[in-house]
Amino acid sequence: MIWVTWRQHRLEALWALVLAALLGGSVGYVALQISFASGRCPSTVGFGYCLSSDPFGQIAQAILRFNLAQYGLVVLPALAGAFIGAPLVAREIENGTQHLAWTQGVTRMRWLLVKLALVFIPLIAAAALVGYLEVVFLNLQGPQVNRWDIFDQQAPVVAAATFFALALGVAFGAVIRRSIPAMAATLLAFVVVRVGIAELVRSHYVAPLVKTTHDLNAVGSQADPTAWWLGFPNYYDSAGHLLGNLIGPSVGQPSYVVQSFQPGDRFWAFETIESAILCTLALLILGFVVYWVTRRAT
Amino acid sequence: MIAPIEATGLGKRFGRTWALDDCSIRVPAGKIAGLVGPNGAGKTTFLHLAAGLLRPTAGEITVFGRSPHGQLLLLLDRVGFVAQDTPLYSGFSVGDMLRFGRELNRRWDQADVEERLRSLDIPFDKRVGQLSGGQRSQVALTLALGKHPELLLLDEPVARLDPLARREFMRRLTEAVAEEGITVLLSSHVMADLERVCDYLIIIAAGRVQVAGEIEALLASHHLIVGPRLNANARLSGAELVKAQHTERQSSLWIRGSVPELGAGWREEPLPLEELVITYLSAPRAVTLPRPQLEEAAS
Repeated sequence: MIWVTWRQHRLEALWALVLAALLGGSVGYVALQISFASGRCPSTVGFGYCLSSDPFGQIAQAILRFNLAQYGLVVLPALAGAFIGAPLVAREIENGTQHLAWTQGVTRMRWLLVKLALVFIPLIAAAALVGYLEVVFLNLQGPQVNRWDIFDQQAPVVAAATFFALALGVAFGAVIRRSIPAMAATLLAFVVVRVGIAELVRSHYVAPLVKTTHDLNAVGSQADPTAWWLGFPNYYDSAGHLLGNLIGPSVGQPSYVVQSFQPGDRFWAFETIESAILCTLALLILGFVVYWVTRRAT
Repeated sequence: MIAPIEATGLGKRFGRTWALDDCSIRVPAGKIAGLVGPNGAGKTTFLHLAAGLLRPTAGEITVFGRSPHGQLLLLLDRVGFVAQDTPLYSGFSVGDMLRFGRELNRRWDQADVEERLRSLDIPFDKRVGQLSGGQRSQVALTLALGKHPELLLLDEPVARLDPLARREFMRRLTEAVAEEGITVLLSSHVMADLERVCDYLIIIAAGRVQVAGEIEALLASHHLIVGPRLNANARLSGAELVKAQHTERQSSLWIRGSVPELGAGWREEPLPLEELVITYLSAPRAVTLPRPQLEEAAS
C-alpha cells in the first residue's frame, strides 16, 4: 500500500517539493541576507533598507518586493486541497479504479487510511516548515514587527490550513465523485471558511482590550505597532458625544479617543486557537470521509 | 457443501428503483456460470454485492458462507473481481500493475503472473494506457488470477473487445479455470460469449431471476413445437408454456417440461441456447420459473 500510494502520487509529491523549496528557499534567503545586514539596521528603519546593495542583497530586495512567500503561504494550502485532496478519491471513482483497488487483499479502511496518512503528513510538514521559516524571518525584524498582518502565513496556522484544505478536498471528491467539480467546491468552501473565520470570528477569540485616552495620537499602529487595532478609532468631544472616526476642522473639538485592540502578546494564543479550530474541522471532515468511503461510496 | 455464492431474497435499491429485487441464486462450485440479461437488468449490481462493493437493501448474500460486506477481509484473498470496462491505472506500466497486485494481496503468485503475461507477449514496461483493449482485459484477468482466487467474478469482461480478442480472452479464462478449478461467475449481455464457455446459466431481467440451471438441463427441458394455428383457449397438458406466438396459419409454443403427444401437423423444432435465452428475455413477466435448482440445493 505504501508503494502504491507513492506510485500514484509521486508527481504531486514532486510538485509540492518544488513549490515548498521555492517558497522556503526565498524566505530563508531573505532571512539570511537580513541577518547579515542586521548590524547596520536601526530598529526604527524598515528592514528592507538594511539589505546590502550588492547583487545578493538586490535579489533579496526583489523577493521582498514580490512578496512571494506571503502570497504563496495563503494560496498554496488551498491549491493543495484542490489539486491533491480533491482527486484523491474522486479520480479513482472517475476511472472506475476504486473497484479494482477495493477488491484486492486490503480493506477500504486500510486503503483509505494509508493513502490519507502518506499524502497528508508530508504536505502538512512541508507547510509547517515554510511557515516556520516565515516566523524566523519575522523574528529577525525585531520586536516591533506587526505579526497580525501576516497571521495566515505563520507556522501553526499554515499547517492547520493545509490540513483543513486537504480534508475538505478529499471529502468533496468522495461525495461529488468527479475531480473538477470537487476542486471547484474545495476552493470555494476553503475561501468562504477562511475569510469567514478571519473577518467574523478571529477578533473574538479573547475579548479585545479597549484603549481610552486623551492623547489623540495614542491609538492605532503608530502608537503600538505590535497590536492588532480593530476597526477605526472613535473620537468623542468633552461632553461624551461621538464625533466619528476622523478628526478635522469640521467635526468639532475631540477630547478623547476610544479604540479596541488585541495586544501583541496575544498573538501566539490566537494562532493556537485558530489552528485548533481548523484542525478540529479537518478531523470532523476526515471522520465523515472514513464513514463515507467505507460505508457509502460505491 | 458451502456454495461459492448463495443469495436469498436479495434486493438492492438505488433511490426509488430496485436494481435487484428478491433474487435467489445459488452458484454451484467448480462451474463457469453465466449471468445473462439485457443492459440494466441488475447484473453489475449482483456482482458488486457478491464482491462486497455494495451492501444489500434486502435479503442476504453469502460468499463461501460469509457475508461479503460484514466479513470482507476473510473473503478478499479468495475472491477475484474484474470490474466492467476492466479498470486499470492508465499511468502505470504493466510491471507497475503487477507490483500493485503484489503489494495489495497477501496471497500472490508473482511467477505465475509473469509467466501468463509473457505467454501473451505483453511487455512489462508498456504503459497500461497504451495497451490494446484485448491486452488490457488480459492484464486485468491476470491480475485477478494472481491471488489464485477460489471464486472469480467478471463483469462484462469482453463487452468492448473484437471477436478475436473475445475468443482469446475466453480461451485464457477456460484454461485457468481448468488448471485451478475456480468457480467463475461471468456476466454478459451477449449470449454468444457465454455459450462456448459456461456450464451454468442464470437469466436475469428487470432485477429478477428468470431462469437458473445447468445449460444441458435447460436445453433438455425446453422445446419449441410448431403446428397448425390453435384457438386461444387451447390447453397444454404435461408441460408448462413459456411463450406462445401465433400467426394466421400456425402456432409456435415454447414449453418447459417433456414434449406432450403431438397431434397431426405438429413438429418439434430445434431450440438453440441463444434462442432459449431470447425467449425468456422477450417475455420477462410472462413466466418466472420456480427455482428447481434451489429446491434441490435446499434438500
